[in-house]
Amino acid sequence: MKLVEYLLDSGTRSVFLPATLVALALVVLMPALSVFVAIKRMAFLGQGVSHAAFGGVGIALSLGLVFPLLATGWGVQAVVMAFCLAAAFGISRLSRVGGTDTAIGIVLAVSMALGFLLYRVAANGTPPGEPPPPPIEAVLFGSVLAVTGADAVVAWLAAVGIGLTIWLRRHSLSFWAFDESGAEAFGVNSEAMRTMLVVLIAVAVVITTRLAGVVLATALLIIPGASALRLATRMPAAIMWSSLVSLIGVLGGLIISVEFDLEPAPAIVLVLALAYSLARMFGHRA
Amino acid sequence: MHEGRDHAGPPTSGDDAVVVRGVSKSFGDINALEGITLGVTTGERLGVLGPNGGGKTTLIRLIQGDLRPEQGEVEVLGRTPIEARRAGLVGVVGQKNSVETSYPATARDLIGMPLLLRRSAADCREQIESAVRLVDASDFADRPVRGLSGGQLQRALIARAIASGAELLLLDEPTVGVDAPGQRLFNDLLDQLQSMTGVTIILVSHQLRTIAATCDRIACLNRTLHLHGDPSGLTPEVLREVFEHDVADLFVAGSPGGGADAGSEAPS
Repeated sequence: MKLVEYLLDSGTRSVFLPATLVALALVVLMPALSVFVAIKRMAFLGQGVSHAAFGGVGIALSLGLVFPLLATGWGVQAVVMAFCLAAAFGISRLSRVGGTDTAIGIVLAVSMALGFLLYRVAANGTPPGEPPPPPIEAVLFGSVLAVTGADAVVAWLAAVGIGLTIWLRRHSLSFWAFDESGAEAFGVNSEAMRTMLVVLIAVAVVITTRLAGVVLATALLIIPGASALRLATRMPAAIMWSSLVSLIGVLGGLIISVEFDLEPAPAIVLVLALAYSLARMFGHRA
Repeated sequence: MHEGRDHAGPPTSGDDAVVVRGVSKSFGDINALEGITLGVTTGERLGVLGPNGGGKTTLIRLIQGDLRPEQGEVEVLGRTPIEARRAGLVGVVGQKNSVETSYPATARDLIGMPLLLRRSAADCREQIESAVRLVDASDFADRPVRGLSGGQLQRALIARAIASGAELLLLDEPTVGVDAPGQRLFNDLLDQLQSMTGVTIILVSHQLRTIAATCDRIACLNRTLHLHGDPSGLTPEVLREVFEHDVADLFVAGSPGGGADAGSEAPS
């Protein structure tokens, strides 16, 4: 396999090792969340949050005209993360009034509009002679093969943080996911559980979007959990199945893309979709 | 307005599981409950009957400690409602359509969920098993939740409510959508449960038949307490008073969220 050869070759390792490490971090980051997303039907929350990244980039670049630090790579990341978290909370608040799909639609459209307008402001405001900001689309459609070692570290920190948070609160989170009002009657704080899940989803989606693009972020948030619910009858097994589907999708897609010189993200999505079809065919009815 | 047919005597004996004294509760300008006084004797089965919006669920939530009364007080097993619930003495079964049946869990997992909030899995095993036996759930305890029948899911939810040793069981509309044979099975289950554990049950329903046939005493609620006593007191007059008289009222002031405005502004 070319992926293995490239990883062993000292000349190409510097490109393919971070990519592989990031890809494996995504396999730790997403699966447990994905199961809860499938149960609570929060798939489109991820969609809204990932598109909010446009708004974040626009804000970072336009504010960067005044505070140059914000327009640097990490500055943009920080602003995007903050804005996406705000968007996630906005969705969660709005959905209490008008329904989740309406809330996501509004936040998604407003974030993208704001992002493109502010990007234009930033581009127009760039002094002549200086390079214009990178195209806004590039920030959203990240490439696994373009990531650095630092990206891999951030992805792994997030993966461990999210995994640990879910593990520590697993009993209340499971009870709440199964039966909100029942869990409340036993003293579980429903609002806190929802907020926690929204924050975790936002963090996971923002990191995945930056590294692998919005399409892959959506696919990794939805497909493994949806497959797992067809295959497992208990929670630990569901998380194992979800992890396995993620692993097969990410590793399989990566291998195929390197082997045939294709884009990794679409290849991963298609392998995930294949895994989901198999789960539907051979699993029980959800 | 109300020709108060308040049959409730003052709560008397010290062995009342629940004592509600002069409780009023309103939401905004809507009075949900007014001056409710009633006692629930330990080990009895009290049916709470009334129209939708009549305050049944509000009463349950006051006893659960979810809401606090504006006036009066509620005492549960000699403690405040919140203390009683924290001590695991109060089990609650809501309407069963609140559960996500796609959730990957067996009936046994479901029963253990509240116990696992406080203790390790190993410490909970024995309590889970005894709850499984109490509701005769042994033959479907390992079945996934999505494969349970409505009646089995309900048994599991009741087992979940009493697994921590509850002495008071609150059931909110437990037989909605359950057919007649299912209701009989359900009543048998409650009989069995009470004879084995002596648990006090408060059962809320708007289905007259469920309540009249199976409860020791009945409380008819429509904002005020219209009847508190033996099911034989459920005369047609009482029912008309509780259900019909106030159904008209509801259109004017009873529906939350602007119902009152719409009523007053509509041309007559």
